[in-house]
Amino acid sequence: MKKFMPLILLIILIIFPLVYQNAYYQHLMILVFIWVAIGSGWNMIAGFTGQVSFGDAAFFGTGAYTAGLLAHHFGISAWWGMAFGGIMAMAVAFPFGWICFRLRGAYFALASLALNEVCRHIATIAEPLTQGMVGILIMPTFVSKIPYYYIALALAVVSVISVQFIMQTKWGYYFLSIREDQDAAESLGIDTHRYKMVSLNIAAFLTGMAGALFMNYMGFIDPEVVFSLHDISIMAILVGIVGGVGTIYGPAVGAFVMVAVHEFFRTGFFGFFKGLAVLTGSDFLNIAAKYISHAHVLGFGILVVLVILYLPNGIVGDWNKLVGKLVPFKKKEAAT
Amino acid sequence: MKKSKVLIGLILAVALIFSFGVSQSIAADTIKVGIVLPLTGKLAKFGEIENKSFLMALKEINAAGGVNGKKIELIIEDTTGKPDVGRSAIEKLISLDKVVMLGGGYSSSVTWATIAVAQQNKVPFLVNTGSADKITEQGWEYIFRLNPPVSEYPGAFASFLETIATDVKTVAILHENSLFGQSGSKKFVKRCEALGLEVLMKEGYEAGAIDFKPLLIKVKAKKADLVYMISYIMDASLLMRQSKELNLNPKLFVGGAAGFTLPEFKKNAAKASNFVYSATLWTPSVPYPGAQAYYDKFVEIYNEPTEYHGAEAYSAMYVIADALKRAKSLTRKDVRNALASTNLITAFGPVKFISYDKKTNQNKLPTFLVQWIDGNLETVWPKNVATKGYIYPIPKWSKR
Repeated sequence: MKKFMPLILLIILIIFPLVYQNAYYQHLMILVFIWVAIGSGWNMIAGFTGQVSFGDAAFFGTGAYTAGLLAHHFGISAWWGMAFGGIMAMAVAFPFGWICFRLRGAYFALASLALNEVCRHIATIAEPLTQGMVGILIMPTFVSKIPYYYIALALAVVSVISVQFIMQTKWGYYFLSIREDQDAAESLGIDTHRYKMVSLNIAAFLTGMAGALFMNYMGFIDPEVVFSLHDISIMAILVGIVGGVGTIYGPAVGAFVMVAVHEFFRTGFFGFFKGLAVLTGSDFLNIAAKYISHAHVLGFGILVVLVILYLPNGIVGDWNKLVGKLVPFKKKEAAT
Repeated sequence: MKKSKVLIGLILAVALIFSFGVSQSIAADTIKVGIVLPLTGKLAKFGEIENKSFLMALKEINAAGGVNGKKIELIIEDTTGKPDVGRSAIEKLISLDKVVMLGGGYSSSVTWATIAVAQQNKVPFLVNTGSADKITEQGWEYIFRLNPPVSEYPGAFASFLETIATDVKTVAILHENSLFGQSGSKKFVKRCEALGLEVLMKEGYEAGAIDFKPLLIKVKAKKADLVYMISYIMDASLLMRQSKELNLNPKLFVGGAAGFTLPEFKKNAAKASNFVYSATLWTPSVPYPGAQAYYDKFVEIYNEPTEYHGAEAYSAMYVIADALKRAKSLTRKDVRNALASTNLITAFGPVKFISYDKKTNQNKLPTFLVQWIDGNLETVWPKNVATKGYIYPIPKWSKR
């Protein structure tokens, strides 16, 4: 049963937009798929190889800008960015990894943080090339969400499957050995520097592709959107942590949870409290509704704290623990 | 114990599902209009003023009988000041709430990211603040703009330079690295060139920066006659305070609207705010009917001052109601056509959507020059609407 779960889920996701034709939910699902790809990339380098990166936005933004600039300067369809975006992100990742993988642990994390900021400043200041904060606007190719939905779904599936595939090969075992003990791995003859580079470049490629798709779908980017430390780099880490660091399906679950929580708070639980306030005419609820929708960042914070406290391996990593807590209740219910 | 927890969870889940019903059932016989504003995040200050003004106007309109007997319902969505979140908000308004038209749109970048969706879905969108020029330069027939584009903000200031401050020859431009700042500064350079002024420097700074001294020292070394700044709220105050500390004495300090006209600017910059000029689109003393009344009423209800963003929102609500009233039917297409033939006098000025230069559906308005004089924001130019005489050149810091 467990073996078929992903397959069943995939079929549901394929059918979803055909059955439920609401552009808003399709939009949210597209965001989820983009985050699955980013999360899988982050999980590759941080979860499996143990090199925590705070600079995913650098790759994401490079991918997005590749697509955007191709369309803006050369009038080529931004879809070409899907091919080149990943490669350009690797072009950023390669020299960065080459130099900075001499650093370990927290020092590497700090270097990746710097990479994020460097990229953002370049995109802001290099106005003739990137238009600075004016940003790049392209007309989205399709009016309907459905083509984007399937492209994003394909990207998400490809990234999950490719991570799964890589982790079954010799590379995967090298990555894990680096995560567990870099010195021991080295003493066994693994070229750790080289394999960390391989892992980073895979991550950058996936993230860059996601960036290019973001450009195509959103139709608008500026440096603060795609090189955002808070909205991209940290969010990628949250997706990884909530879903489960170092698990294949973790980023997929994490992406879904994070996008849902974000939208939940932003809309004040889809206007639930506001509706209740109007129904009861209570001023208190009205004020509460206002504060709840203002507290989406706080909501993130609480969620992460709870996950780290009770599910340190994330939702997927601690799945059995989670199920274990719910199952006795189910049994009791059946008995009564 | 555990059981009760799960039970609570279940109740919450059920309640959530019902909430869809709740929020939709209330809205049975109203006309739904979607508004996108930054209610949280760093632009929340401006979003809040606009939000309050929208609600104030809505109350007045609905109290007066609404639109052809139907009440207007505003669905206000938070964009958090981010383009991608704004996109989610607009998708929700269009496909879930099925609004008949859209309004709001505070910052240029968020507006820019959302108008394409509105245009593609053929939903009329009345932008009331997002001021980057290109928003109305796309030839999109469903996008309307109430406020003038950023390039026209210094219109009154340019005429002031030509007639009064004729001895200003050199200019230094400081701007925030945002869409508003970068595009506004570029247009200002062009304007300076047209006026025959020499631009000595034009430099951007990071949004949220707190130390402007390196920049200001550079300005001081270049001895510019005019310092033109395009800033939001905190940076505007800090720029002035640090200019005072460095004893920077140009002939004119001029702000390009936004942060320089807010009541908070006076509060934060304190004495350093005195004599600073700013371009603005609106003050309570402008010669439009209802302008002063709007200001007084806002102060009365919310117990705090308002400024041009609020007036934009307040007037936008009236323009929306007017268009809905005149629309042949409440379809998006008919509302769009009604909006296009708007001819209304509002507290923010006459509203008429015309096409000129590269722009379409753009409202054209005169701008004003204001100056902080002894803690009050006075309109000083053009002369026929001035509330007080201008003070030029600005006295040196040591002589105040």
